[in-house]
Amino acid sequence: MTFSDLSPNGSQLLDRRRFLTESATALGSIALLELLNQQQSLGASVQVDPEKPFAARSGHYGGKAKNVIVVFCAGAVSQLETWDYKPELIRLDGKPMPGGPAVTFQGPAGNLARPQYRFRQHGQSGKWVSDMIPHLAELTDDLAFVHSLTSTSNTHGPAENFLSTGFQLDGFPSLGAWVSYALGTENQNLPAYVAIPDPRGVPQNGANNWGAGFLPAAFQGVMMSSREPIRHLRGAGPAGRDTAARDWLRRMNGRHLEQNPGDSKLAARIASYELAARMQLSVPEVTALDDEPAHVLKAYGADDTTQPLRAAFAKNCILARRLVERGVRFVQLFNGAYASGGELNWDGHNKLKQQYDRHAAILDQPVAALIKDLKQRGMLEDTLVVWCTEFGRMPFFQKGSQGRDHNPNGFTCWLAGAGVKAGVSHGLTDELGRAAVQDVHPLYDFNATILHLLGLDHERLTFKHNGIERRLTNVEGHVIGDVLA
Amino acid sequence: MFRWLLCCVCFWCLLDAFSPSVFAQRVDYVRDVRPILQQHCYRCHGEQRQRSGLRLDIKSEAFKGGDGWGESLIAGDPEESPLMQLVTADDRDMRMPPGKDGLPPEAIAVLRRWIAEGAHWPDGVDLAELEDRMDHWSFKPLVVTSPPAVATADWARGPIDRFVLAGLEQTGLSPSAPAEPLAWLRRVSIDLTGLPPTPDEARRFLERVATSPTAYEEAVDRLLASPRYGERWAQHWLDLVRYADTHGFEVNTERPNAWPYRDYVIEALNSDTPYDRFVREQIVGDAFDQDPATGFLVTASVLLPGQIGKDEASKRLARQDALDEIVNNVSQTFMGLSVGCARCHDHKFDPISARDYYSMQAFVAGVEYKERRVETGDAEERRRRAAELRERIAAIDQRLSDHVPLARPQTHAAGRTTSAKLDRESFPPQEARRTAVDALLNIDRFAPVTTDRVRFVVAATNTLEPCIDELEVFNVQGENVAAAERGTGLMVSGETMVANRHEAHFVHDGRYGNERSWLSNQDGAGTIELQFADLQTIDRVVWSRDRNGQFHDRLATDYHIEALVDGVWRRVADAGDRHGYDADAAPTRLADELRLSGLSDEGRRQVERQRKEKQSLEKAAAEAEQGPVAFAGRFRTPDPIHLLSRGDPEQPRDRVPPAVLSRFGEQTLAPDCDEQTRRLALADWIVRPDHPLTSRVLVNRIWQWHFGIGFVDTPNDFGRNGSRPSHPELLDYLADQFIRSGWSLKQLHRRIVLSSTYRQSAQHNAFAAQRDADVRLLWRFPRRRVEAEVIRDTMVAVGGRLERTMGGRGFDRFNKRGGLSGFTPVESFEGEGLRRMIYAHKVRREPDAVFGAFDCPDGGQSAPRRSESTTPIQALNLFNSTFTAEQSAALSQRLRRECGSDVDTQVARAFELVLCRSPTPTEQKEAGRLAAQHGLETMCRVLFNCNEFLFSP
Repeated sequence: MTFSDLSPNGSQLLDRRRFLTESATALGSIALLELLNQQQSLGASVQVDPEKPFAARSGHYGGKAKNVIVVFCAGAVSQLETWDYKPELIRLDGKPMPGGPAVTFQGPAGNLARPQYRFRQHGQSGKWVSDMIPHLAELTDDLAFVHSLTSTSNTHGPAENFLSTGFQLDGFPSLGAWVSYALGTENQNLPAYVAIPDPRGVPQNGANNWGAGFLPAAFQGVMMSSREPIRHLRGAGPAGRDTAARDWLRRMNGRHLEQNPGDSKLAARIASYELAARMQLSVPEVTALDDEPAHVLKAYGADDTTQPLRAAFAKNCILARRLVERGVRFVQLFNGAYASGGELNWDGHNKLKQQYDRHAAILDQPVAALIKDLKQRGMLEDTLVVWCTEFGRMPFFQKGSQGRDHNPNGFTCWLAGAGVKAGVSHGLTDELGRAAVQDVHPLYDFNATILHLLGLDHERLTFKHNGIERRLTNVEGHVIGDVLA
Repeated sequence: MFRWLLCCVCFWCLLDAFSPSVFAQRVDYVRDVRPILQQHCYRCHGEQRQRSGLRLDIKSEAFKGGDGWGESLIAGDPEESPLMQLVTADDRDMRMPPGKDGLPPEAIAVLRRWIAEGAHWPDGVDLAELEDRMDHWSFKPLVVTSPPAVATADWARGPIDRFVLAGLEQTGLSPSAPAEPLAWLRRVSIDLTGLPPTPDEARRFLERVATSPTAYEEAVDRLLASPRYGERWAQHWLDLVRYADTHGFEVNTERPNAWPYRDYVIEALNSDTPYDRFVREQIVGDAFDQDPATGFLVTASVLLPGQIGKDEASKRLARQDALDEIVNNVSQTFMGLSVGCARCHDHKFDPISARDYYSMQAFVAGVEYKERRVETGDAEERRRRAAELRERIAAIDQRLSDHVPLARPQTHAAGRTTSAKLDRESFPPQEARRTAVDALLNIDRFAPVTTDRVRFVVAATNTLEPCIDELEVFNVQGENVAAAERGTGLMVSGETMVANRHEAHFVHDGRYGNERSWLSNQDGAGTIELQFADLQTIDRVVWSRDRNGQFHDRLATDYHIEALVDGVWRRVADAGDRHGYDADAAPTRLADELRLSGLSDEGRRQVERQRKEKQSLEKAAAEAEQGPVAFAGRFRTPDPIHLLSRGDPEQPRDRVPPAVLSRFGEQTLAPDCDEQTRRLALADWIVRPDHPLTSRVLVNRIWQWHFGIGFVDTPNDFGRNGSRPSHPELLDYLADQFIRSGWSLKQLHRRIVLSSTYRQSAQHNAFAAQRDADVRLLWRFPRRRVEAEVIRDTMVAVGGRLERTMGGRGFDRFNKRGGLSGFTPVESFEGEGLRRMIYAHKVRREPDAVFGAFDCPDGGQSAPRRSESTTPIQALNLFNSTFTAEQSAALSQRLRRECGSDVDTQVARAFELVLCRSPTPTEQKEAGRLAAQHGLETMCRVLFNCNEFLFSP
């Protein structure tokens, strides 16, 4: 009997096959950190060395994007107030929708309602964009819109799960976890995957959006913002005490390893303490925005104390850029918080216009500045920017209210940057924006496209759990070719 | 497409008519058709892959068709055959084969003609053979072989060792030397109880080892008899069934009575409940006097009624998802089968059809994700009495409410004038006003309105954000239709959440007092909106700040109540016709709200009598109601279950009765079979001694939890896509023994941990590692990092502060639950926060702030085996957290207390407690120096971070 007979799946993460043969004395931090920089290539499923789970790994094929920033708008942004221009809806304003549903998610449907903002044409492409987001509107030539996305759920919780993990149910790995599992990261002194919550609070589904699901905990997103760096980054005592403690720990562990030579798990843990010590230095450096010049702060709106929420979100946007600049693989930037009757996120059921005025002011300038900044620094060449939301909203108002109900049948997200065909608009909803009718794409396709841009084949990026080779895209997904450069 | 097809038809007619040479003879499958399929289709629909469930290289499969398409070939009818529709589709996303060009027209013509001619596919010509999906080791009966003969005769203590040794010898390996007695004791103590031995236990064990041949057996018996055993092993089980104390999904609110199930598992393990009974109780404990056990059925995340869409499709999908979770839990936990894969299509690997899947659903189709009264001896009687009392109370309230003056709301708030003459309605004369608002109780009575939505809008308070402990809305039958238990949905404008005190849903939970109240997040404002399950005719709203009478602040002094009638919000009551609020006035009582003027003396006496009666009835009702409840599912008439095409609830096919997996058994129940009988039948089938999976799956799990890896390293998948066992004979031998022992887990543990295999040292060996790096053959004991729970519990225990109270609601690891700030972790733990970690209130998918990074499952999906990752975040948490600082301080206090001020003694004791050994002279010196320079706490903190502490020996 040979080993390979025993374990067809034994090559997975944490089934440790590799052993360090170095003696304990060679296990100084430098030697280990050298190892962390080695590249590996991907097989059908990812080979992660447990000693260096974050080492940069190459994808299935050359991807144009190396890093990703996802702007995640929680609460479901109305496509009709933003990117999906529907003149017919203006014409039929106030009329009942012919053949429309009587009851939607929250209750009885009211009459059709025109977009609550004026639309104008922008850029070379003449793209119609609403006045709600004037800064982003200027950038339409850089963006690739998918207007025909669909979700499998009309409920925030399952739908945010679906957007973030490809499954409605709880417990599946998030996109960022998949990506850091597949590709590791370029900077070993910072987390591979950072989730930056909105200054107004955490999104509806909380940690599910950046969880590792059944992937090892190492690949979950680390929460960090311009206000709050990583938890437990420093101990309470004086630095000298920590240094002395670490020294003795190193000696204790070194001797223990000498008595148990060749055990890679022990070596990996020693290395993790070295990495933690480096993180203590690099995290404060990246979160301190002091060295950002005044004109940058101004461009993002980070210096405007009269709009503290926008300033705080703007700082998060700057932080996202700084993280990617330093090689962090995946940054998720949340815009919009928890369910709050639409007060703190994009869930405009009742007073949509009034609430969107406030939300748009927070979103618009900072995200636009982020894209311009990335472009100006040449970072858009290898950074993918994703703007997404869990579903869209109905063309009619809810009965007795001034807002729109949930609509998973047709909504818009966009991509920009590395590998993306700029200025393209793909897919169509019907003339009222009720449902996608041309080039319909379930969110699986959107996620497959993001992986593709990173050089990952969504069908080959798998992890076996409970007997199933799990994928971000379940058994679905087609790359949306029209948005690729 | 129709037009295109028509063209094709014409084209083919032309061909047929004018090119007799091409089609002179009948199409032959082997000569003409198969090459086309081979060239264009087999890659995705052949032996290797069967995309969309379609396989075209085998006759029976090809005719059967793929998922959701029905038969792919209809002999004689090319236009109706999905195969033709797919190869001729003009939508590129749909057309097969994928790609720019599709099939060449000649090939299409051949296929069309072949089908038109009857799709003749001779038997016996297929090059591939359909495999028998039942031909798989774990689907066959146990094969019990006697333990093999081995060359090294004196190593093996029993059958386990002989099987393991035979495997090693075959590979040219030999077992490792036995571990030192103390190393074994530390290993087995952590393994069985999750805690290391105390220095006393260690000393006594060494004494026994020196004098008695049964020292090891005694130690194991002691550990298995300890209640700590159940606490340790229940955690493995809870990982598996994804237990949590919250509902999951977006709101992730508390599931307050989930813990009785956790306690049941601990108790069942401690009392060595036979496993077959353990399985039965979890599926149908209501039939075995073990009510909380059925918590198993409803451990999954679930959408609460208010989170599910109002449209019927949303409701159907939510119900399907909820049932799916039960089927998954039952099949993967007990049988190691991924039955859930067959929800949308027949299982890709295992002999489980979509019909089988829905038949399994039918067993549990009457289970609701709800709390249930837990049966105790007198529960039935108490419940009946409480219900009767509540009815009488409601009747009295209804009668008394006749004496409450009607509210006269200001229908046009803006039109309010100061002239009583101009607007009598909105500005009542002083003497006709209702009583001022009161913290204790307020009743707003109005003419009946029919509605399903009511909102209560606060416009001003006496101080700060409004707080309301209960809002009740009564229909004309006198029932409180606002109550959450009636399925009434709730929305609030916002809230200031304080765990277990102010949570929005407390406002209609039927419980009074400040500690069960809603607190707004706006000064002097806030809105509560209720959505009833159906239309109600209501005439009374009763609300209060604190019905227990303790708090008078945060009282709504200006408010209005509206009901949605025909899509318009209609005001039914407000504060405008009440007397102004006077902070100095004495608190009012219910009687003050009643309009007693105009009543005869006898009338007043009657009202007074009724009030008194009500008070005593309320007391009696509260007593009768104090029976325990558990989130253990509520059982009702089962839903009819239909086979759903592609798993879509909007595409139901025929109805299916409850039936066991058709390839594994034959039992089918009547479609209208009663609820409990269904679950009983399911449980009976699973624990049949001849069920090929149940005992194997469990024995494999136990082995895995002892050694870190099972014989089968896919513990939730014993199907054809799972791994093959490393020691198939040993697995079957143990499974057979397990059943013979009366399904006793403790006997199984005993057999394993006393084996020579388990007693081996964990020492690495380069030669063996080259042949078996994963230690699957067990040439040593596989060392592994201990779990988060072991680290935390041990840190607290060695500090001498472990709180050993068992059972009951868990302690909180978060100060605030959800809401805007998310879950804010508790940093500093005292009292019940120092209980074992299994008693922590498990918030689904919110990782523990310190230990979550150590691979604690998130409660989303089943975690049959924990991953063991190593990250810098773990190092930061364990090195810098307040938790570590506090436990280090506690341990150093203990050292000072027990050892006085002598550093050497302190260090020696610390090593004993934390690492179960004495320090070497070097360690003694270094530790002493660190303690002297940086404090004893710092030395303790390092010990808690040592690899030696974090790994099982």
